Amino acid sequence: MSVKEQKDFDVSAASLKEIRAFAREVLSKVPELESTTDDVVLALAEAAQNVVKHAYNGHPTADQMRVEICYENKVLTLELLDKGEPAVPENIKPRKLDEIRPGGLGTFFIGQIMDEIVFKTSRKDWINHLVLTKRY
Amino acid sequence: MSYKVTEEGNISTVFLDGEIDMEVTDKAKEVIMPLIEAKKEVHINLKEVQYMDSSGISVLIESHQKATELGTKVTLKEISKSVLKVIMMAKLEQILNLD
Repeated sequence: MSVKEQKDFDVSAASLKEIRAFAREVLSKVPELESTTDDVVLALAEAAQNVVKHAYNGHPTADQMRVEICYENKVLTLELLDKGEPAVPENIKPRKLDEIRPGGLGTFFIGQIMDEIVFKTSRKDWINHLVLTKRY
Repeated sequence: MSYKVTEEGNISTVFLDGEIDMEVTDKAKEVIMPLIEAKKEVHINLKEVQYMDSSGISVLIESHQKATELGTKVTLKEISKSVLKVIMMAKLEQILNLD
């Protein structure tokens, strides 16, 4: 079974709920993903939240971000593309868990849930291209 | 997200409902923080919260820290399965007061 879908969303906190709904809808088409759907939706939503918070610093924008979800050959790939400030992958680190403070958890969650986190630069129409991969 | 607050003696219980993400965390803080600042013991009931992300967890951490600073207490009550999973993923089950 395979599935591949994409959708564009406004870059805003209000879109996060829509992104989660889109992801749930796509993932529900693949029965073998059912047990991990909640985790995967969280990882994608945390990545989208990082776009709103960090790539656009929470500023209103007319830009859209694109979410692509693909499952084939037992590999789930979540791709997130935006035109915000370029991310500096070296600066994106999960906070240490012994630091009990608000913030910095989103990246930690993504790392816990997904097997691979990669920033690509091959899509010239976009600035940031995050690829999250999970193998089944 | 919607909420309801009940009072019993010095205990205020905040019943949160729905999905807690970046869009609603300011609203959640506006409800919870004044109660802590009034030095109430605050119970946050999470039975009807179906989804919480890192923003929501941050609200719980901030609430816990503010309460500790002011000599009062925040306790999480009836935590839904999905929220508990996220709390445990963040390894906060030993830090926050869970009931």
